[in-house]
Amino acid sequence: MRGLALTGVIALSFGLGSFYATGHFGVFSAVNLALGSLALLAATVAGVRRIRRIGGPHSRPVILRGALLIVAAFALALVLEQSATRSRIQFDWTGEGRFELSPATLKACGEFDGELTAALYRSEGDPRTRRTRLLLQRLAQFCPLVVRELLLDESPEDEDRYAIGSSNSVVFAIGDRFETVERPTEGAIYEALYRLRSVSNGVVTVLRGEGQGDPERQDDLGYSGLAVALGTEGYRLQVAVSAAITEIPDDSDAVLLISPRRRMRDSTIDALRRYLAKGGRLVALLEPGVESGVESLLAEYGLEALPSVLVDPASGAVEDAAEGLNIVAYNYAEHPASAGLNQNRMTFFPGVRPIAARATRPGDRVMGVVWSSPHAWATDDLSVLEQRSGRVERRDEPQGYRYIMAAGRYPRDGVETRIVVFGDADFASNRYLRALYDLDILINSVHWVVQRESQITLRPKIRDTVQFPLPMQDTLRTLYGVGLLVPELLLIAGGVVWMRRRAA
Amino acid sequence: MSETRGHAANEPRPRGVRVEARDLTRRFGEHVALDGLSLAIEPGEAFGLLGANGAGKTTFIRMVTGCLLPSDGTVTVDGVSPSASPSAVQALLGFVMETCRLYPELRVRSFLRFIGGARGLAGARLATAVDRAIERFRLEGAATRPIGNLSKGFQQRVSLAQAFLHDPPLVIVDEPTGGLDPLQQTEVQEILRELRGRRTLILCTHDLHEAESLASRVAVLRQGRLVAVGNAKDVLSEGEALDLFRDSAEVGA
Amino acid sequence: MTALLALVRKELLSLFALPTAYLTLTMVALVTALIFFDHLRIYNQTLFLYATTTMGGFSTDEIPDYINLWDAVFFPVMETLGLTLIGAVPLVTMRVFAEERSRGTDELLVTTGLTPTTIVVGKFAVTFLFVTLMMGVSFVYPATAIARGGLGIEHLAAVFVGLTLYSIALASIGLVCSAFASSQLVAAVSAWAVAFVFWDFAWVYPFVSEGVAGFLDAISLHLRYGSFAEGIVSLSNIVYFGGVVLVAVAAARFSFDLRRVGA
Repeated sequence: MRGLALTGVIALSFGLGSFYATGHFGVFSAVNLALGSLALLAATVAGVRRIRRIGGPHSRPVILRGALLIVAAFALALVLEQSATRSRIQFDWTGEGRFELSPATLKACGEFDGELTAALYRSEGDPRTRRTRLLLQRLAQFCPLVVRELLLDESPEDEDRYAIGSSNSVVFAIGDRFETVERPTEGAIYEALYRLRSVSNGVVTVLRGEGQGDPERQDDLGYSGLAVALGTEGYRLQVAVSAAITEIPDDSDAVLLISPRRRMRDSTIDALRRYLAKGGRLVALLEPGVESGVESLLAEYGLEALPSVLVDPASGAVEDAAEGLNIVAYNYAEHPASAGLNQNRMTFFPGVRPIAARATRPGDRVMGVVWSSPHAWATDDLSVLEQRSGRVERRDEPQGYRYIMAAGRYPRDGVETRIVVFGDADFASNRYLRALYDLDILINSVHWVVQRESQITLRPKIRDTVQFPLPMQDTLRTLYGVGLLVPELLLIAGGVVWMRRRAA
Repeated sequence: MSETRGHAANEPRPRGVRVEARDLTRRFGEHVALDGLSLAIEPGEAFGLLGANGAGKTTFIRMVTGCLLPSDGTVTVDGVSPSASPSAVQALLGFVMETCRLYPELRVRSFLRFIGGARGLAGARLATAVDRAIERFRLEGAATRPIGNLSKGFQQRVSLAQAFLHDPPLVIVDEPTGGLDPLQQTEVQEILRELRGRRTLILCTHDLHEAESLASRVAVLRQGRLVAVGNAKDVLSEGEALDLFRDSAEVGA
Repeated sequence: MTALLALVRKELLSLFALPTAYLTLTMVALVTALIFFDHLRIYNQTLFLYATTTMGGFSTDEIPDYINLWDAVFFPVMETLGLTLIGAVPLVTMRVFAEERSRGTDELLVTTGLTPTTIVVGKFAVTFLFVTLMMGVSFVYPATAIARGGLGIEHLAAVFVGLTLYSIALASIGLVCSAFASSQLVAAVSAWAVAFVFWDFAWVYPFVSEGVAGFLDAISLHLRYGSFAEGIVSLSNIVYFGGVVLVAVAAARFSFDLRRVGA
């Protein structure tokens, strides 16, 4: 019996080893697995028969009790495991909450009518698919999503049909519509789901031509990320050359003004003025040290972009700038555009001009939404923006809360004008848009000005994988410092024990 | 010797327990290791169990200790069945196994502390019991040495010390002098002689002289059957004692 | 409880009284170091290759996203470590019961009044402690990757919990094999085979229905172990590993019953 069991066990391991090594059933693995299983079965039968033969009146209850105990333990384990699975209790210890799905994703996933499927296409042994699988399983726990897995090698026609570029791609499909996600982070999945829903939130007119930020430029200084994000959120972007326009197009649901670098023509400012007067919506991103003309228009609405630079010592030195110039903001007013943001959900603004907000007419509601710390102060010396390190010396400038972003609502002739002004534009550039909650505050501001507050949410963060190298010298230092030290100490301990035993 | 001194402060000690087997049978497949053994060992008795290798002595002992279940029949220790309540019986006995089955890597004191702890002794009671055992079995010089580094004679003393550590009413000693040189044999026999009488002692051996000098009554087993039982001197001094071990001799119990 | 503590103390003394325990730990540390530094070396070489060929330094735009500390070092190390542990843990567990049996001290244990359950629980507990120590030793290297990757202490804890639970499950399998085996070699070989079978049931899928495959997936070690590495600590997985221990304790205890019966 024991010989049979041992033979079975050995044959089974060799069969399995061969299967995993080659990835398929060859003659060797199949024969070993079959013979191993048979031998184990025979050994089990022989064992049971032997026990039955030996068993006397005293033995039977003992055997029965022991066997029942195993069955009971197995049943208990099974019930507990099933209950635990059903409870869905799990803790995300990734630090950044990699598998804690944001309300935005759950909302986007839960709003489909019909069967939404997610097909994970993978190659054998791709370690990234485990992460994706976990993410999809988590998603499927909260919304009606059918998850499937397919091997890329076995689905060549899908590769062409869904334009799948590599392993670890997910195709979300509903009916005949689909979205392919090549790097399935939660952020990417969220965006794919949003696109799949085909929501239309309106038209955003982007003014260009006076050195404004370029929504088509894809490097760090461009704003293509913002354009894509607005597209994902259901906005169609139309570009208008500011020097050429005499009126803001009628189909505009909002105007986006990104960091004009030169003085804009009076005709353009007038066109904007007329647009706002009849209930227009404007999101203006203004950089320090620029007088484009739009500042005076905004001042008419009680939103004054001051000609100075904000210094907030609470932010310290961040990103290659003097201390306090690049501001990490964590104070927010109660406002739809900042909904969900708090002291732990910060926003980042590199180089800010302070905004003053004061209602100029009865009925207007104007307020600062994103604030600096109470230690902030403003300097008129714009050259500090060139300072790459050290501290900006404060002379007698007063310290206090300053507004980095402000918003206003203005009832005008039965319609409501809405304006949001940011004292910075770089935060929306490709370099910083995904930093902290910058994307959220900006997109939510757009939703707010076009009065689609229901779309306001906090989006999942798209995280970059860590490509930080351990330099060779560090690697060697780690090897000698930790890698060999631990075994060495253990070996010494073992040697000492051995010597002491011999001497005793 | 120290035994009397060690127990001076204790309650009146037990006089031993009765061990009784009725039609005790143990089969291993087709092989019958013990065949209908009926036997009674009285409280306080030093009882020798004799027989050649494979006669069934160890099988009987394993059933008394609860390590093995009988195929048929019953065995009781102080009226308790080791089959039904092994823990209750094991609390009453000390067991010296054949060929010093100990932990060679442990030091003597650590080993005795473990046995004491397993027996439920703790704190001062454990320390006293261990010290007393070390003194009683003359292990002072070896207390801090690993058991594996000791001579066979000392290892057997450690084995005896663990069996007597909790002062049990029943001690079972299986081949206590096997593999020892004559001097060590004498030492061990002296110790056993000093310790018998105040408890039931079952001595399992195939050494006739050892049985005669230590046991008051003996039983002889052959091929699983009881072939003789009675006063040690009577059974072993008939001049035909060796015949009891031989297959050809048929002596009724 | 006194008896259990005495047994635990004795087992620890036995374990660390011999150089074998230290040698085992040394071997595990060295093997893990080798695995880790080999992956790290290849990762570094790949990164440097990209850095020089693209002339852009470590610009993340130029390097494929799958070449990162997670996917190129940490996960492969964890995967290899998982398989290595299948080889290493049975070497620790094989002696626990089988050695007692081979030198005849199993009956000494039983006759000292220790119940089979106490013996099993005590031996399991000490083995788990040792295996946890083993994990501590081998965890130094993946921890370095996590620390350098800036993934935080919580994630580190999740990985350690997963690795330890997985090793404890492997140890449980090894202990059951040791409890039933008559020799240490048989105990080790059978533990390797059983752990190997439970690692992943992918080989059975061609022959079974989807439902059975789902069940087998649910009891395979590989999938349960993997999610901890991702930083997910789910109650279901913790209970699974707890369940493996529970069933193993019951099975190891049953080996004492079989011995009393004489099977």
